[in-house]
Amino acid sequence: MLKLQNVSKHFKDQTILDNISLTIEKGSIVGLMGPSGCGKSTLLRCIQGFESYDKGSILCQEKVCLILQDFQLFPHMNVLDNITYGMRHVLKIPKKQAEMEGLSLLKELGLEDKAKVMPHTLSGGQKQRVAILRAMASKADLLLLDEPTSALDAQSIGEVVQLIKKLNAMGLTLLVVSHDESFLKMISTKIYELKKGMLLSQK
Amino acid sequence: MYNDILYILGGVGVTLQYTVVSLLIGFSLGILLGILKFLSKRPYLINFFISVFRGTPLLLQLSFAYFVLPELIGFNLSVFEAGILALGLNSAAYMIEIIWAGIKSIPKGQFEAAKTLHISSFLMWKDIILPQVLNRMMPALANEVITLLKETALISVIGEVDIMRRAQYLAAEQFNYFKPLCIAGLSYYLLVQILTFIFNYIQKRWHYA
Repeated sequence: MLKLQNVSKHFKDQTILDNISLTIEKGSIVGLMGPSGCGKSTLLRCIQGFESYDKGSILCQEKVCLILQDFQLFPHMNVLDNITYGMRHVLKIPKKQAEMEGLSLLKELGLEDKAKVMPHTLSGGQKQRVAILRAMASKADLLLLDEPTSALDAQSIGEVVQLIKKLNAMGLTLLVVSHDESFLKMISTKIYELKKGMLLSQK
Repeated sequence: MYNDILYILGGVGVTLQYTVVSLLIGFSLGILLGILKFLSKRPYLINFFISVFRGTPLLLQLSFAYFVLPELIGFNLSVFEAGILALGLNSAAYMIEIIWAGIKSIPKGQFEAAKTLHISSFLMWKDIILPQVLNRMMPALANEVITLLKETALISVIGEVDIMRRAQYLAAEQFNYFKPLCIAGLSYYLLVQILTFIFNYIQKRWHYA
């Protein structure tokens, strides 16, 4: 469960986040909508701990992983190494076991033939799936997705919808930020709108 | 003629020794201080170090290390110690700038991605950031290493018997500069070609995108 209580953030005399309270239950998919510059990404970055906030509290019982908008796979490692690096060096899982788990994750998302290729050869949608797998491999159970459809064409968006539902079925909790309302409606159990730093409940 | 060539080639080991040790000093300091310069908001001290070593001739730095420094620190330095000190620090000054520029060219997102995966700072630098930096900066680093190799010729002025010094000995002995300087020149040229080959090989093997 992720619980934000009265989180506020200011930059100079500008209010970026205004008294935001939000609870995300385990196993849900929450959508966060709003025009660019409304503070959506900032909110995700606060949850991940990349940015500080002035007031309020963020309580998180899950292991959070922010999937960055441009994915930021490690370009000098192949796909499997991208996925298993965290397992091996952070979670200290032995190499063989990590690679077996990594391969089965890749298989799960239909990328088993990409295990040994370098990230720059992947399409946008494939990069995104690898980034998500990398987060899952690090045993994150709350994924923060920042504009997951922004780098993709219309056909891939349909695939992202399937993907997000599948991740949810696998037990992950997701907080998805997007400016695309119809996309969020397809996936979310609850949608919030962020307007000028204030959080409005949609449904 | 054959003996002359062998005599001058006898200096190759000395030249390589100075190059390798100075390179190790320059490269380690370059990485360490390059990272520190990147992390520091006001890297005045590092910038001062760079400005001193880039702002004065290497010949002067070598002479200073051998003739003046012992007076200041109270004990003598061998030619080798003074030589690698000056060459190593001089090279470090350039390497710091190369590494620093390389780090600055890595997208901020790479650091953030490492943090989202809870990768420790040490591992992030070692496995995520520095390999990309070195890959990007390989041509600049190759330049610096080649320059360093040729600059070791300056240690002949503080008395080291390297390729250059041996050529000068022969020239003085035979009253003929043409042959010894050609042999010395060819030795340096071949050494640089070998280095270039090695760097090209590394670059090809390492190239990932």
